[in-house]
Amino acid sequence: MTRELESLNEVRLGMFSFAHMHAASYIHFLAQMEGVTIAGIYDDDYDRGGRIAAQYNVPYFRRADGLFDQELDGAVICSENALHAPLVLQGAGRVGAILCEKPIATTASDGQEMIDRCRETGTKLQIAFPMRFAPPVMELKQQLDAGVLGEIYSVKSTNHGSMPGRWFADHKLAGGGAVMDHTVHVVDLLRWFWDTEVEEIYAEVGRELLHPGLGIDDVGLLSFRLANGVFGTLDTSWSRPPSYPTWGDVKLDVLGEQGLISVDAFEQNLQVSSNEAGKTSDVNWGSSGDEGLVADFVAMIREDLEPSISGEDGQRALEVALAAYESARRVEPVALPI
Amino acid sequence: MRRVGIVGAGGISRTHADRWNQMPGVELAGFYDIIEDAAQRAVQRSGGKVFGSMNELFDAVDYVDVCTPGTAHVQPVIAALEAGIPTVCEKPLANSVADCERIVEVAERTGTPLFVAMVVRFFPQFAKAKEVLDSGAIGAPGVIRTVRSGSYPDGGSGWRKGLAITSYYADFAQSGGVLLDLCIHDIDYQRWCFGEIERVFARGMMFAGKEPKDHALLTVRFSNGAVGHIEGSWSYPRGRFSTRIEIAGTGGILEWDSRTRPPVEVALAQEDGSLASSGSSPTAPKDDPYYAELAHFVQCTEAKEPFLVTPYDGLMAVKISRAAIESLETGRPVTIS
Repeated sequence: MTRELESLNEVRLGMFSFAHMHAASYIHFLAQMEGVTIAGIYDDDYDRGGRIAAQYNVPYFRRADGLFDQELDGAVICSENALHAPLVLQGAGRVGAILCEKPIATTASDGQEMIDRCRETGTKLQIAFPMRFAPPVMELKQQLDAGVLGEIYSVKSTNHGSMPGRWFADHKLAGGGAVMDHTVHVVDLLRWFWDTEVEEIYAEVGRELLHPGLGIDDVGLLSFRLANGVFGTLDTSWSRPPSYPTWGDVKLDVLGEQGLISVDAFEQNLQVSSNEAGKTSDVNWGSSGDEGLVADFVAMIREDLEPSISGEDGQRALEVALAAYESARRVEPVALPI
Repeated sequence: MRRVGIVGAGGISRTHADRWNQMPGVELAGFYDIIEDAAQRAVQRSGGKVFGSMNELFDAVDYVDVCTPGTAHVQPVIAALEAGIPTVCEKPLANSVADCERIVEVAERTGTPLFVAMVVRFFPQFAKAKEVLDSGAIGAPGVIRTVRSGSYPDGGSGWRKGLAITSYYADFAQSGGVLLDLCIHDIDYQRWCFGEIERVFARGMMFAGKEPKDHALLTVRFSNGAVGHIEGSWSYPRGRFSTRIEIAGTGGILEWDSRTRPPVEVALAQEDGSLASSGSSPTAPKDDPYYAELAHFVQCTEAKEPFLVTPYDGLMAVKISRAAIESLETGRPVTIS
């Protein structure tokens, strides 16, 4: 055991913002990993940053610069979507690697600038698509690679969610509502499954359909065709109300010549009925994709590997979300790349 | 005692005949089919007599039940309506919008009751979902998703093998594939729940040269801004038939999935050590959807009340299904006129 510990190079990470709730999960797993040091937490929200810093007994930084100065091997950026770009541009060249929460940015130009700057400065940019590490999704990928379905016809998918509120409903910070929030995970999986691209997208986007007064889109129904000929749909809607047993879902039904594979990535649950909660909730006991994602990020740093999920992967997924909005505006299918 | 005669002795006629035979106050008079053998077989299994012509049948009955394929509805339905006989027409009302419009025109002119058998409205879980939506329990309509997916209907049950209907389905020019045969149920149901449909966009396999396999994914925009999603399939592996309902509103959500655990499960150890298991979801006979729709027809006809499904509803379902097929052909969304 001691020998193993010695053999692991220390990896020093900084956590930049807990605006996105995934950061809490990432730090939870990172803090447990051998040889990983959380060098500090930056957050522009003093209360939030201070609380989490205290919880993990690590320094809190009021300014991102202060944390970038801590001889970091890597930075984990989970700010509001629109603030990914300034943080990544600030960190490029100062840290060896960046794990950036999805979507990469709110505009294609921001995303491209992030990719270019990281390349120029030799900083590795990885985008956080943890669904690639969720075991039910990995099992689907294996079955697809084994070719059990024969010719693939179609994919019906959903990435439903609860309405997250806060900055997620602020166009300036989020870049869009449900479509921006929930297009990229599944699009990344589709690209990954078949090493292909979304070639055409049609979208029906609903604004304030489920949450009157929200001020942003809360319903998205995307219909796509992939370059490999597979067609499908993706429902990105924030259609899970507070009374629902869980936050949402990631579901994929892949139909092929030989049959159907249905994946419900968050179906490994206990049903917990609580008088205090006033409802029955799904409590997931499945293996977390977040854990696999951060372990992959640490391994990339330690073993000097290329990112398994690159900035370009993040950019392609973002472009699909932007094209979906464009399609809804024009009420016609939009071809990609735009 | 009311007497009912069935025109067209194919697949669905057996389902209807079984229900007519259970219904108090109704007698199944018999069948007419252009293929006399088919009528003969139907009479052997379901009772009544073989009629030599449609007019002979019309003279002997109080109700007509048209169970021919969709391409062959227009003639018997119009004839029955002109003869003043209350009529059930199996879905789709007709396979073309023009034929539907002719039927609707005759129904309006003659005033003869015409009930389009959109049976999904009578499935208890679908009816209950509509009732919950209408109660306001989940708020105003937002997103509706339904699924109707199975394998190609080519004789998973032996009696269907060799029937003309089997090749009829595979000829998409005739049957309209899943969009006109299967998704029409969901189009009608979603329109019933959320109101008029403004446009549809479809992707599918109808023109992919995979007949008889077909599969379609539809997005629907309603006039009130709400959206809908429909999956219909003849490409699922056999034995994996699935239907689903999900309706999300401003105040909640409702879901039903035919794949969830059935109320009755039978698990039996076999002599070879394997397991034979089956599930069922039994309901009272009157709640059987085919019985319920035909009983509704009789009740409304006798009470001179409007049907839950109007001829116009039947027309709109075909119009929207046809628009979905047009969307497949053009690759563009199609606005419903």
